[in-house]
Amino acid sequence: MLLSLNPLPEAILDVRGLKVAYGPVEALKGIDLSVRKGQIVTLLGANGAGKSSTLNAIVGLIGKKAGNILFKGRDVASLSPERIVRMGMTLTPEGRRIFPSLSVDEHLLLGGAAHSSRSSIREVREDMLERFPILRERLHQKAGSLSGGEQQMLAIARSMMSSPELLLMDEPSLGLAPQVVDLIFDLIIGLRDRGLTILLVEQNVSLSLEVADYGYVMANGRIVLSGTADELRNSTEVQGAYLGA
Amino acid sequence: MDMFLQQLVNALSLGGTYALLALGLAVVFSIMGLINFAHGELMTAAGYGLIFSLLLGVPFALALPAAVVVAILLAVLMERVAFRSVRGASGTTLLLTSFAVSAIIRVLFQNFISARPMAVRIPMALSGTIEIAGLHLGIIQAISILVTIAMLVGLNLFLHRTVLGRAMRAAAEDFAIVRLMGIRANAVVATAFAISGLLAGVAGVLWVAQRGSVDPLMGFLPVLKAFIAAIIGGLGSLSGAVAGGFLLGFTEVFLQAFLPESLLSYRDAFAIILVIAVLLYAPQGLLARRTVVKL
Amino acid sequence: MKSKIKALCITTMLSGMALSPLPATAQELLIGLATAQTGNLAPYDQPSLKGLEMAVEEINATGGIAGKFPIKLIIKDTRSDAAQTALAAQELIDQGVNIMITPCDADPSIAAGQITQAAQIPTFSFCATTPTMPIAVGDYMFGNYPADNVQAAVLANHAIEQGYKRAYILKSPDSAYTLKLPEYFATSFKAKGGEIVGEGTFSMGQQDFGAEVTKIKALNPAPDVIMTAAYEPDFPAFIRQLRSAGVDTPILGSDGIDSPTTFGLGKLVEGVVFTAAGFATEGSPLAKFNAKYKQRTGQEPDTNYIANGYDLGKVIEAAVTKADGIEPTAIRNAIASLEKVPGVTGPITYVGTQGMPLRSVALVRIKDGGRELVSQGVPAAADVPAP
Repeated sequence: MLLSLNPLPEAILDVRGLKVAYGPVEALKGIDLSVRKGQIVTLLGANGAGKSSTLNAIVGLIGKKAGNILFKGRDVASLSPERIVRMGMTLTPEGRRIFPSLSVDEHLLLGGAAHSSRSSIREVREDMLERFPILRERLHQKAGSLSGGEQQMLAIARSMMSSPELLLMDEPSLGLAPQVVDLIFDLIIGLRDRGLTILLVEQNVSLSLEVADYGYVMANGRIVLSGTADELRNSTEVQGAYLGA
Repeated sequence: MDMFLQQLVNALSLGGTYALLALGLAVVFSIMGLINFAHGELMTAAGYGLIFSLLLGVPFALALPAAVVVAILLAVLMERVAFRSVRGASGTTLLLTSFAVSAIIRVLFQNFISARPMAVRIPMALSGTIEIAGLHLGIIQAISILVTIAMLVGLNLFLHRTVLGRAMRAAAEDFAIVRLMGIRANAVVATAFAISGLLAGVAGVLWVAQRGSVDPLMGFLPVLKAFIAAIIGGLGSLSGAVAGGFLLGFTEVFLQAFLPESLLSYRDAFAIILVIAVLLYAPQGLLARRTVVKL
Repeated sequence: MKSKIKALCITTMLSGMALSPLPATAQELLIGLATAQTGNLAPYDQPSLKGLEMAVEEINATGGIAGKFPIKLIIKDTRSDAAQTALAAQELIDQGVNIMITPCDADPSIAAGQITQAAQIPTFSFCATTPTMPIAVGDYMFGNYPADNVQAAVLANHAIEQGYKRAYILKSPDSAYTLKLPEYFATSFKAKGGEIVGEGTFSMGQQDFGAEVTKIKALNPAPDVIMTAAYEPDFPAFIRQLRSAGVDTPILGSDGIDSPTTFGLGKLVEGVVFTAAGFATEGSPLAKFNAKYKQRTGQEPDTNYIANGYDLGKVIEAAVTKADGIEPTAIRNAIASLEKVPGVTGPITYVGTQGMPLRSVALVRIKDGGRELVSQGVPAAADVPAP
């Protein structure tokens, strides 16, 4: 295992011994990871390694699990996703999962449903429309009529509407054209620069190690490797398995 | 022509009631994949609510909303007691649970209220007729058409203008993601049941006003029709349920009106054949929509 | 899961309401009831049972029938299901009942009758009115209510007396009662020179008569009278929609509409004439029975089925007294020879019938929201259409 020697900001998320089973199949066999404030942490691994399960379990979408999930110092392992989201963590799911028959604006308004006042919803919505000008153009269109890239932006904006401190992102570049992928990654960097902490699952390993501060590599439901992005990029294991070197 | 117009009004009135009921089924189905066969018992509960409010001396105009409130409360209670613990279970489990709830409530009505129908005194003013351009419109019939329109408009506004309404539409497409917006799953499901209770309560009151009595088993037939209507429209599609309700109402009334006397006994058979024809043409129903039922 | 177990407990509790049998003493008359406590026949079977229980209580208070045959009722709920009725009947036979009572409908009664006929146990249907029921089963099956064809004959006679020439009948193929009674009426009415100008059909429980009413309104020539055997909820819905459409043709109905709901319709039903199993004129046995029932239970007897159930107790008492024993075949033979048993609804005769009793039918007119007796009696045999 590689060790990072940098002075570290405090952890916003600490996962300890997380286990998830689907019936008799154990998908996660004891995951330990932590995400430090203001960083982008990436979770790498082959298909079926358990990356999505990890994200879903952290955000509460998988109810039955063992282990501890400390978010801002509080164990949220037994909480429902809606409670967790209200505490400041959310997930932009794999495959975007937008609501095809709802308009772009309705996505934003729903995304902000956790805010207590109308004015703060309006504020965040305005902020999102500044950041994603294409959404303003499409404001009253049904989300189902948007292009893949636009849908991904909508999905991110929808997540951002809850003003999270920690955003989990599951395969944001999946199925998008290369120039759109670049756009999305610029956006991710922009969000980090605004102070958002991001836990990123991405099949595009080289791109994600480029933006990430730290990374974990998963295989068969376990963390097998971790380190700073540079350390991982230079590790022979990662190069051999993912970077094709 | 007059006869045709008159039958059109009849169809509108019957179809409207079916539409309200089918909509109630569809609202719950779209959210949690449950076909609630205890929906009919909500109508019955509204009927008893009306009777007991009147017995307690509540004026008729206030007894009507009280009756609807009874149906809403029972719907929410059903969800809390019976359906919450099986939420996310397989369709078969949900269906059997709803059959059980329906059977239990019916037996409770029969044994703790009365097995015999109980009369409701509907004010005579409601038995009159309005004549518009040669068309005779029963007051109850007219009210039922107006109320149906009001309910459909009101529900549409709710679904498009409020957070919970939007959340329900979103939940019908992808429930898990709605939770990721910090919206409480229990609130969405409870709202769906409350709305289905409201729709069943209103339909129940209209139904009771027409028949003048409440009996413990009266919910079965209308809910069966509503189920057929919802299937025609495409289960889980709200506009489909409304369309299915009106289509079934129109089919029944016009078959009754224009089938030759010797074939009249087969009216329901013809209506069902039409339903089968619709389903052969569109197996998912007329306005089917992909539904992700996942909690 | 928790709630499902709860649900199960409640259902078991409720079905456990059927009384468990105790061993019979030598001379105890066991009456098995395979009748409906739940389901769509409960509204008829439950009040019938109340009446019967009252009769049994009175008889047992005097030491049993003829002072030596105490009665014991074994009650099983059939849930208004024909198969369940047959099953309950078989279980009751296994428990050694001497007499069987089946639900207020011909279908489950015939299903149970097939079994009791083979076992040679005399069987009464609480209040089925289908005249062909005993014929379909055999000589151990009896009715306990004025048959459909008898009621129809009384109505047809009345229609002719009123000078009605053209009648419209409204029937439903959903039950023998709603279908055959109007058809018997049509037969009788035509036999006496009347004309049927139209026939309408409805689905029971549908309660939408808009289309039918529109058709009736358009009939030319208009009928003088409308006859139907529709009852709740169809009858109230029908008459409300008919009158709402401005059609004020007189209406003839059958005993099924004798309920608080009908009278709750107020002016809408003013003038409606219907048949009834009995009529409580002042000082009549039925009036006395009703007073007694109210005193004992604190409830208004809201239906004649109570008195009718009570009368079944009287019929059984008369038969067992006559047989002077509780041997089933002897009881059957005694029933078949009963003549003018004094019931509270009127004299009841089985001798010379095919199992459906000859008993008087009252013709009642709704007047000022109350009942007015038009006539009461047994119609001439020649007027009654063949079953």
